[in-house]
Amino acid sequence: MSVEVTFELPYTQWDWQVAVYVALLGLAGGAYLTAYVADVLSHRLNAPEYGRLASSGYLIGLAGILIGPPILLSHLATPFRAMLVPLSMTNFGSWMTIGAYMLGGLAVGTVLMFAWTSFGKARPSAPEVATDGGSAKAATGDRTVGGVRGIVSRVGLLDTIDTVADTTRPSGPARLGLGAFFGLFAAGVLVYSAMALGSGPYDRVPLWDKTFLLPVQIFSGLGAGLVAAVGLTAVTERSLGRELQTAALSGAGLLVLALIALVVTVLALPAQVPEAQSGVDNLVGSYAWLFVGVGVVVGVVVPIALTAGAALGQRRDALAPSGATTAYALAAVCVIVGKVALTLSYLLAGEFTPIVLPM
Amino acid sequence: MSTQESDGGTARVIPNWDSCIDCGACEVACQRTWDLPPESDRIKVVALAHGTEEETSKPMQCYNCEDAACIDVCPTEALFYRDNGTVRVDADTCIGCHYCAVGCPFGAPQYPDETVPDAEESSPLGAKSDGLMDKCTTCEPRQEHGLEPACASECPTDALIFGTPEELEEKMEQDGIEVPFTDEAAQIIFGDDAEKITGGS
Repeated sequence: MSVEVTFELPYTQWDWQVAVYVALLGLAGGAYLTAYVADVLSHRLNAPEYGRLASSGYLIGLAGILIGPPILLSHLATPFRAMLVPLSMTNFGSWMTIGAYMLGGLAVGTVLMFAWTSFGKARPSAPEVATDGGSAKAATGDRTVGGVRGIVSRVGLLDTIDTVADTTRPSGPARLGLGAFFGLFAAGVLVYSAMALGSGPYDRVPLWDKTFLLPVQIFSGLGAGLVAAVGLTAVTERSLGRELQTAALSGAGLLVLALIALVVTVLALPAQVPEAQSGVDNLVGSYAWLFVGVGVVVGVVVPIALTAGAALGQRRDALAPSGATTAYALAAVCVIVGKVALTLSYLLAGEFTPIVLPM
Repeated sequence: MSTQESDGGTARVIPNWDSCIDCGACEVACQRTWDLPPESDRIKVVALAHGTEEETSKPMQCYNCEDAACIDVCPTEALFYRDNGTVRVDADTCIGCHYCAVGCPFGAPQYPDETVPDAEESSPLGAKSDGLMDKCTTCEPRQEHGLEPACASECPTDALIFGTPEELEEKMEQDGIEVPFTDEAAQIIFGDDAEKITGGS
């Protein structure tokens, strides 16, 4: 006779703090990558609106990096030891180590790219560029980028930071080359957002099967990052032109891919990995309110409808700018809440693989 | 009896499922011997097949796996193999991330909030806890005095047997003890010596 052993659930080891961390770093990786694409398009097409979208995307990425890791550190027994990454994280066979270094690289890249696109008289996509040697503020008027320029201006550091940004900013192609380099770290962080859960030699939690989890995390990270950036750009820049509409439709498209990956997981994972049946049952049963209700409907379906509807409505002149701004902003909030809910539901619904012992 | 100096392979404690009567003596022996806090479960009698007619309770602890998932996933290399093949945790390196608990197939890692007394003095006996990883150490200080691990020594029904793979094979054959692991579990724990335990099943 064989008897299965199941100990505690994964959530007893990794709780909401890990879920928020994984969700926010996925958002950060996705936001950086989509911001970089917008940055490249801005440069190549000479489209300032893409540049403003890039600034917003880098800011979203920066926010994810600033908020996520401290929440993870609060989960650890020795957070200060963990913060000494080069000294403490030495096992490069562990995805936690790989992820920590990827996150470090992305943090540096995000700070630089945000600073170079958002500050300085000669920043890309500046509304106007002074040629008479006036102050940075005069050169950029009262316009703010992501609201951050306004905040920095109020504390009296705008001219200083503008000068630093202009002094350190490489030429366009060199800056974009550096951005691509840091994009490798962003891609790594995006993959890590799946492998943080889906790694380990024995696949102890079948629901976290990496084959199915990778597309979910990658597409939801990219989609959430882009939709959040669109919302931030719409609110802070009052920028609702055709480029932003295209970005909104792209974000909706990425979220459709995430939705497909989620549906495939629910329908096909138990067939491919029978041990995952109970985890999938938990997702659509005990935690249906969180997974289906908040994660899928609020976090994916509603943002798809809002962003695609607003963009198409604008193009058909059927939606006023205030309505479009509201729709993009609401989609951004929904997609971030949904991203956290999705990851949290995966942690709550996961079950350890029972070890079968002969009795 | 094996000691940590044995050259016949890593000495481990394994269960004799049929003999266990769920008395909890192994848990008490472990906690009393090392003055562990009550919440420490370096060995724990767990329910198997919970909620079924076959429900039963058996002792489980770290098996010091030959192919230890905890070592693979630990980001800080706090978990490592000793020269004698046992798996240990370095309390000065562990960050308490619980990755080892998610990776271990046997649920061995634990993270007591209380401090384990004298852990530093007897290092590498075990972690200091305070939320850091803690696990069975196969009572190496006892082995140095020619004693078996406390749990195996004090089990009233000999439900825990201790030895190198060869010694375990011999004891199992001698006493007619059934193989306590599936081939998969035996491979993880014993590696190339798995067949000595499973009898090539």
